[in-house]
Amino acid sequence: MTTTTAAPSPAQRRSAAERYWRSLWLLTVRDLRVRYTTSFLGYLWSIIDPLLMACIYYFVFVLVFRRQGTLGEEPYIVFLVSGLLPWMWFSNAVTDCTKAFTREAKLLRSTTIPRTIWVARMVLSKGIEFVISIPVLILFAVVFGAAFHWQTVLWLLAVVLQAALLMGIGLIVAPLVVFFRDLERAIRLVLRLLFYATPIVYSFDQLDHLGAIKTVAAFNPLSGIMGLYRSAFFPQDLDWFSVGASALVAIVLLVVGVFVFRGSIRTVLKEI
Amino acid sequence: MASPYPAEGTIRVDDIGIRFKRNRSGRRSFKDLFADRSRRAKPGEFWAMRHVSFEVAPGEAIGVVGRNGQGKSTLLKLVARVMLPDEGRIEVEGGVAPLIEITGGFVNDLSVRDNVYLTAGLHGMSKREIDAAFDEIIDFAEIADFADTPYKHLSSGMKVRIAFSVIARLEEPILLVDEVLAVGDKAFREKCYRRIDEMLVGGRTLFFVSHNEKDLLRFCRRGLYLDRGELKLDAPIQEVIDRYNADYLVKGA
Repeated sequence: MTTTTAAPSPAQRRSAAERYWRSLWLLTVRDLRVRYTTSFLGYLWSIIDPLLMACIYYFVFVLVFRRQGTLGEEPYIVFLVSGLLPWMWFSNAVTDCTKAFTREAKLLRSTTIPRTIWVARMVLSKGIEFVISIPVLILFAVVFGAAFHWQTVLWLLAVVLQAALLMGIGLIVAPLVVFFRDLERAIRLVLRLLFYATPIVYSFDQLDHLGAIKTVAAFNPLSGIMGLYRSAFFPQDLDWFSVGASALVAIVLLVVGVFVFRGSIRTVLKEI
Repeated sequence: MASPYPAEGTIRVDDIGIRFKRNRSGRRSFKDLFADRSRRAKPGEFWAMRHVSFEVAPGEAIGVVGRNGQGKSTLLKLVARVMLPDEGRIEVEGGVAPLIEITGGFVNDLSVRDNVYLTAGLHGMSKREIDAAFDEIIDFAEIADFADTPYKHLSSGMKVRIAFSVIARLEEPILLVDEVLAVGDKAFREKCYRRIDEMLVGGRTLFFVSHNEKDLLRFCRRGLYLDRGELKLDAPIQEVIDRYNADYLVKGA
């Protein structure tokens, strides 16, 4: 165990929490700055991907299969975008967490900042990209005439739940990838599966006729979170049971994550 | 004067050990992942260092001597807290300025200015402190015209200079040096040495790993001789170097 019992000289030694946030913020700003100074389209990249996907699903389901009105909620394009933006945050952050240690190995070997920051910065920087993509959703809602309900405030809860969930997953995935490199690919597959297992192109209610599968799906932590986001436009999509299940799963994953991370960091530092 | 806390700059290493895998690509199980702190090395593992204990007082300059692969760098990393021991305790009072992998934190696509703020910030300097020290850092590295150039466009010599310059400016009580000074041209190396001298005069603790006898004698009073992961000798630097040379020459014959 490495312990520090430094003589306190309050002016110089900032509190641990303050240092944590400062380092996290520095690294997050660095990520965003690198991203926006190196690519010409910068900001657009964080919205092009979800918009393209929204167009594809709109084309397939509404124009080809003519499922307008029976799929999700109306206007369907708003329904799609409101699910796809948080999904992008989720999937990009999880993908980045698989590289949390390997990409910055050199920095990890030379600084002593609290090591959970290497995961937290992935969650935070993708979260910021999510937040700055929200105006696009508002634009769609206004153009296609979707009304805002009071449930819009639930976005705060949704963001907190999603951040906790991502943190938990990241703390588990990041150290495991160092030992099992295959996991990086496996996670890409799981994400693809999860995309269809989550109510993004359809709504949670449409699982009604599947009985037991719906109960299982409620424990997909993203189901409840998606419901929260969607309730801003479609209050009928809010299902408190699945929100509760999401919160429970997020907390369990976070606790497991802390233990996995603590137990494995010693070995991770030797490996990288 | 008596303080209930040990003075800043103290390093206390108490019976530490660390083990590594012999074969990096060996088959792994989930159990390996959670390094248990048992005292037994599992099959396929070896103790890279064991039963090492010593104490460094504030302001002391310690040189670490040993052949390649005897645990010098590992010891430095343990003191820098970028690696954690499998057994024993290390107490380090106060912050550490590590001249280890110094260019590690620099990002190619960002300007030198951004990189300085980032690296110094990660090592605990506040924005105001960096503002105040910025010109000095750039001047020391002799790259005044390149402050806003992307880091990737610097020559490799400049890269090392700016990296050294940032770490050497940290107001930490302990300085760790891992042979990085072998890089850079002769004039800059001399400048680095003068800077280390200054820091020593200022009361810093120095922990120095090198193969260069001259450098060791220049900076250090006390030496640690590591051999096969054990601390073989803890004595004045000249004595340690003599012993090392004697062992080395015998083995080499």
